[in-house]
Amino acid sequence: MLPLPPFAYHRPRDLEEAVALLSELGPDAKLIAGGTDLLPNMKHGLLAPKHLIALDAISDLDRVEVLDDGSLSIGALTRLSDLAVHPTIRVLIPVLAEAAAEVASPQIRNMGTIGGNVCLDTRCVYYNQTQFWRSALGFCLKKDGDTCHVVKGGKQCVAACVGDTVPALIVLGAAARVLGPEGMRAVPLEALYTTPGSDHLKLARNEVIVRFEVPRPGERLRSGFFKLRLRRSIDFSSFSIAAALRLDGRTIQDLKLAAVALNSKPRVLNAEKLGVLGQDLTKEVMSHIGEQFQRRATPLDNINVDSQWRKEVIAVLVRRLLERVSAVGAQTASVSS
Amino acid sequence: MKTLVSLDVNGRTYEIAVSPELTLLEALRYELGLTGSKQGCDKGDCGACTVLVDDRPTLACLTLAVAVQGRKVRTVESLAQANVLHPLQDAFDQHGAAQCGFCTPGILMSAVSLLEQGGDAPDRLSIKKALSGNLCRCTGYTKIIDAVEDVAANTSSPGPPGHTGS
Amino acid sequence: MPASKIHTVKQTLHVIGQRTPKIDGPTKVTGEALYTDDMRLPGMLYCKIARSPHPHARIRSIDASAALAIEGVHAVITGKDLPVPYGILGWSRDEHALCLDKARHVGDAVAAVAAESEALAVRAVDALVIEYEVLPPVLSIDDAKTLVDEPVNGRARSGNVLKRVELEFGDLKGEFAKSDKIFEADYFFHGTTHAAIEPHCAIAKVDGASRLTVWSSTQVPHYLHRELALVLGLEESRIRVVQPNLGGAFGGKSEPFDLEFCVAKLALITGHPVKCLYTREEVFYSHRGRHPMRMHFETGVDAEGKLTAVRSKIEMDGGAYASFGVVTTYYSGQLMTAPYALPAYAFDSTRYYTNKPACGPKRGHGTVQPRFAFEVQLDEIAHDLHIDPIELRRRNFIGDFTETINGQRITSNGFLECLAAVEKASDWKARRSSLPAGVGLGVAGSMYISGTNYPIYPNDMPQSGVQAQIDRSGRVTLFSGASDIGQGSNSMLASIACEELGVDRRDVVVVSSDTDLCPVDLGAYSSRVTFMAGNACVDACRHLRTQILEVLRSEWHIDEPLDIFAGEVRTKDGKHRLPVKEAFRLAEARLGSLGSMGWYNTPKLGGEYKGGSIGASPAYSFTAHVAEVEVDRETGLVDVKRVWIAHDCGRALNPMTVEGQMEGSAYMGFAETLFEEHAVDARGLHLGPNLLDYRLPTPLDTPDFEAHIVETFDPEGPYGAKEAGEGPLHSVIPAIANAIFHATGARLRELPFTPAKVLAALRATSIPERLPPLEP
Repeated sequence: MLPLPPFAYHRPRDLEEAVALLSELGPDAKLIAGGTDLLPNMKHGLLAPKHLIALDAISDLDRVEVLDDGSLSIGALTRLSDLAVHPTIRVLIPVLAEAAAEVASPQIRNMGTIGGNVCLDTRCVYYNQTQFWRSALGFCLKKDGDTCHVVKGGKQCVAACVGDTVPALIVLGAAARVLGPEGMRAVPLEALYTTPGSDHLKLARNEVIVRFEVPRPGERLRSGFFKLRLRRSIDFSSFSIAAALRLDGRTIQDLKLAAVALNSKPRVLNAEKLGVLGQDLTKEVMSHIGEQFQRRATPLDNINVDSQWRKEVIAVLVRRLLERVSAVGAQTASVSS
Repeated sequence: MKTLVSLDVNGRTYEIAVSPELTLLEALRYELGLTGSKQGCDKGDCGACTVLVDDRPTLACLTLAVAVQGRKVRTVESLAQANVLHPLQDAFDQHGAAQCGFCTPGILMSAVSLLEQGGDAPDRLSIKKALSGNLCRCTGYTKIIDAVEDVAANTSSPGPPGHTGS
Repeated sequence: MPASKIHTVKQTLHVIGQRTPKIDGPTKVTGEALYTDDMRLPGMLYCKIARSPHPHARIRSIDASAALAIEGVHAVITGKDLPVPYGILGWSRDEHALCLDKARHVGDAVAAVAAESEALAVRAVDALVIEYEVLPPVLSIDDAKTLVDEPVNGRARSGNVLKRVELEFGDLKGEFAKSDKIFEADYFFHGTTHAAIEPHCAIAKVDGASRLTVWSSTQVPHYLHRELALVLGLEESRIRVVQPNLGGAFGGKSEPFDLEFCVAKLALITGHPVKCLYTREEVFYSHRGRHPMRMHFETGVDAEGKLTAVRSKIEMDGGAYASFGVVTTYYSGQLMTAPYALPAYAFDSTRYYTNKPACGPKRGHGTVQPRFAFEVQLDEIAHDLHIDPIELRRRNFIGDFTETINGQRITSNGFLECLAAVEKASDWKARRSSLPAGVGLGVAGSMYISGTNYPIYPNDMPQSGVQAQIDRSGRVTLFSGASDIGQGSNSMLASIACEELGVDRRDVVVVSSDTDLCPVDLGAYSSRVTFMAGNACVDACRHLRTQILEVLRSEWHIDEPLDIFAGEVRTKDGKHRLPVKEAFRLAEARLGSLGSMGWYNTPKLGGEYKGGSIGASPAYSFTAHVAEVEVDRETGLVDVKRVWIAHDCGRALNPMTVEGQMEGSAYMGFAETLFEEHAVDARGLHLGPNLLDYRLPTPLDTPDFEAHIVETFDPEGPYGAKEAGEGPLHSVIPAIANAIFHATGARLRELPFTPAKVLAALRATSIPERLPPLEP
C-alpha cells in the first residue's frame, strides 16, 4: 500500500462555506472533487495538505444547461463520463464530449470531474513518481529541489498541462466562472494557464471553479478532438489537440486549435495566426496548418513518449483532425438527425 | 483523527471508525474483511480494486472511505446470491476467463455495470471499452470478452438491484 | 536413483480432453479465494523494507535509533542479521536478504522494520539513517566489460562476467564454407518484466513450538523452504511453507526474495506474525525479468534455403544478481536447435553483472530473445531467396523422434501441423499477396521444453510426487507440492483423478503447495508441471485403480478388463456394475485404508558434454504464429489486428485451459513487442516503476487471438501431454516483426518496436514490391 498522509476532511454544504474554509485554512487546504489526480499525487508524497475540502456535498455543481441565449453552462463537478455521453454536448460541441471520453479509463471518468480535469496538476516523468524514486534521482524544481531534469540547466519548471478537456474548452472560447471571497469572476480558459509548471493555474488559493460557460456554438461550428497516447485507455495524453472550425462553403471563417501535453501552458493558434483566414480549407491548406502548428509546438522530455517522435507526428495529427472535422457536417445537420 | 462513518456496502450498513486518509479499498479489505477487491497498484493504474459506487465502476484505491457515506457500494461479494453464481460469474467460470483470478473481481464489476446499462447486447468492441480500465496479465482478455459476450447475448439486462425492472 | 516410469495411455478417455472449468473457478469468481495479502493473523506486524537510492554504493552505517524510538515499531534488521548468502542456484549464491556490504542496484534491500501498522512501518523506514559511500555504477554491457575495478558482484568468474558458455556442434567451418549464402545481422531484445497483477506478499509466524510458517506468493515453495532453512539456520523440518492462491507469476516469483527472509527473521525476533506486501514499485525492483540481449546471428543456407550452419554471439545484461543466470546463459544457445535441422551450430553466450535490478526467468526463459533474432533472420533469408517463409520453415523441419545437433532427444513433433494450421487459418496463401500496402502477415516458429531433467540442486530424487487418498465418502484427496499459479495445475491433477478413478470433479479435493502436507514438487517453472506432476498423479491414481479393479474382479469372479467412469465400475458388457463409492468401501474392507504415493522423475537425457543436460527435456512443445499488422505509415504506430497461434501440446488434457495458456502467452509476447520496456537510465534509475509508465496493453490494445491446438500424443507425457504455458509466447514476437516487414518493407531488428523506431525505419525504406505468390 501507498499510505496517504493524514489530513482533516471537510465537507461544506455550499460554495460560500467552501470558499470560507479555503480562506480560513490557508495554504494547508486543498479542494478535492473526484480525487483521481490529487490522491495518487498525495500517495507519491508530492503534496500533503492538512485539510481536504470535498465539494461533493454541494448541490447543483454537476448540471449541464443550455441557457436562453444559446450558451452552455457546465457545472464544475460534472463527471467526465456524463459529459462524454451528454446528448446536447455531443451534438453542439462534440469536441468536449470526445475529449471527456478520452480521459484515462472508464473508472476514472466515472470519478473525475471537468473541474478536476481543468485543474489537473501538471505532469512530468520526473515528478509523478514515488518519494523514494525522486529521492534517488534528486529532487526537482517542481518539488523540493532546484534542478530541472527535463531541460538541462533549466530554471523554470516545464511540467506539462495534460487535461484533455482543456484544449476543448479553449477552442470553444469557454470561460471558468470562479467564486472567491470577493465574489464571482470569469476567467477565459485560455487565460487560466501560465508558466512555470510548478505554479501553472492563475487561480487564487481561495477560489473555486463553479462552472464553465461556453458561448453559443452557433450553427456552423464544427469541432473535434484527438488524443495521442500509446495505449487506447488509461494513459495520460502524449499530445492532445482540439479544433473548432467555422466554414462558409469551403472558406475558413474561423479556426481555433489548441493542444496540451507540451508545456505548462496549452498551445493555442487561430486562423489569423496560422495565416489561413479566408482561405479555402483544401487538402493542401490542412497540411499547411498541420505544419504550422508543428513548427510552433515543442514537445519536451517531460512525458515518457519520445519527444522527437511526438514533434514529428504533430503535423499529421493536426491535418487528420481537420480532415475529420471538416468532413462531418456542422452541428445543425446533426441536430436535425 | 478517526470519525465514525456509516458505509452501505452490499446492502448492509457498517458503522466503523475511520481516519480520513483511509481509502475505500483499505476499509473494505482490512476493516470489513471484504477481501475480494484487490490491490494491484494502489494508485489507479490497474483496475483490480474496481467496485461499484452508486452503480458506477469506481477505483476503491482512489476513493476515500469517508467520501462514500450516503452512497451505495457494491463489491464482488455482492454478486452471488445464496450461493448461486451471478450469470457473469458463471460465464467466467465456464469460459475459463479467470486464470490467477486476481484481476477477476474488478473485471466482473466493470462487466456488471456494462450489462446493467441495458439496451442492445454490447458487441466485442463495447465490451473492450467497458473493460479498458482493467488490466489482466494472464488471459490476453480473449476468454474474458467471450464470457461477457455470452452473457450479454443470453440474458435480458436486469438493471441494478433496487432499480425499476429488477 | 529410481528409474523413470512411463504409463501407457488408457484406451478410452472420459474426462481427459474435455473442456472443463477449473476446480477453483467458483472461488475465484466470487472473490472468496484467499491470496496472501487477504490473510491477517492476530497480533500481526507489518514489515517495510528500506531500499538503496544508489545503483552502487558501499553501506557505511545504519542508524536505527530514531526508527526504533517510534512507538509501535518493534524491530529493525539489517544485513548483519541475515548474513548467509542465498541464490536459487546452489553454485551462484550471490545475494543476501539485506545487503551485507554494498547495495548493487537502486531498490536493493538494505534494512527492514516491523511495526504495528503499515503506515508506521513506512515512517520507521523513513527514520532510518543510512550512510552510503557511492561507487561508480556499471550500467551497461559495455560498462561491465570495462569497469572491472569495483565489480558489481563478488561471485563473478572474472570482472563482471557471471557466466560464459561456448559450445560448438558439427563441422561449423565446413558447413559455412559450403553454404551458398551466409546471412549476418545484429539484433537486440530489450528488458521486460512479468508484472503479475498481484504484488509479492509474505507472512511469517512462529508458533509456541518454535515452528516457523511462511505463507508466500511464491511459485517455488520447495526451493523457498530450502533457502529459508539455509539463511535462517533452521532445520528444514521446523519450517513450513504455504503458497496461498497466487495472483500471477510468469517466472517473477520463482525464487526466494528479500521479503520472505525478512518476515521470517522479524517473526523470530518479535514473536509476532509479520507481513510484508510489496508496493508496485518494489515489484519492479525485485524484477527477475527478461534479460536484455545483444545478439549477433550468422546463418548459412544452400540455394534451396536449407540451413547449413548457425552461429550466434550473445551478450546479456544480467543485473546485480545471478538469479537463474547460469541456466539463462545455456538456454540462450541450447534451446535453438529445433524445430529446424541444423547441420552445424555454435553459440557463445555471456551474462554480465550490472548495477540494475536482477534479470531472471520470464515466461520462455532465456530463449525468447534468440528465438526472436533467429526467426527474423529466417524471414530475411526467405525474402532474399524468394521462398515463402512458411515453406522455408517446412524445408528445414527437423522431424519427430530424432535428435538435435546438440544431443537433445526430440520425441513427438507437430511443428509441420502447427505451420499448416496457421497457414490455413490466416488464409496465408491468398492474403499474403493481396493485402494492401501497410497491412502485412508474418510467420514464425519455435520450440520449448516441458520441464527439464536438470533439478536446481543436484539430486537423484523424483522431480514430483503426488499422494492420492480415498476416503469412505467416495472422495479422492490429492496432495501435491506443485504450485497452481493460475495456470490450472490443481484442476489438471483433479482431471487425472477423475479419469483414473471415475469420480465426479466435486469429489476431488486437491491440497497443494504446502510443505507440511504435500510431497515435494520442484515448482511451477520451466513448464514442467503438467508433464511431471501430471505423470506423478497418473502414477498415484493408476496404482489405486489397479488395486480397486483387482478387488472387484475377485469379487465378481471374473478375469476381464474393467473400466471406471461416470461414478461406476463396470465390465464392458455392463453385466457387472457398482458405484465407485461402494467399490472404494469394498476395496478398503479388503485391502485396508486406501492411499498411494506416485512420483515422476525424468529419464537420463542430454548430450555427453559439460552443460549437455541443460535444456534437455523429456518432451518439447512446438509453436507457430501468424500475425497480421497494420502500420500507420505517417506515424509509425503498429496495430496488431489478429494473431493465429498453433501449438503442439501433445494431448490437450483440457483444451480450454490450453487455449488460455496460448492466448495469455501470445498476449505477453505481443505486449513486449510493442508496449513494454523495463529500462534503467544512465543514473541507474528505473524509468517508471509503475503500471502507468510500464504499459501493459489494455483490452482495447489487444488483438483477437485465435488458438489452434495441435495434438501429437507424446509417448512419455501424461496421456501424451506436453507443455502449453511458455512455448506459445516465443514466436509471436518475430511473427509481428516479420509482418511489419511484409506490410512496409521495414526490417526491424531492435525491440521494442516503438512508433518512433518504426517511423524511423519506414523513412529509411522504400515501399517493397509484393513478391508474386510462390510455388512450394
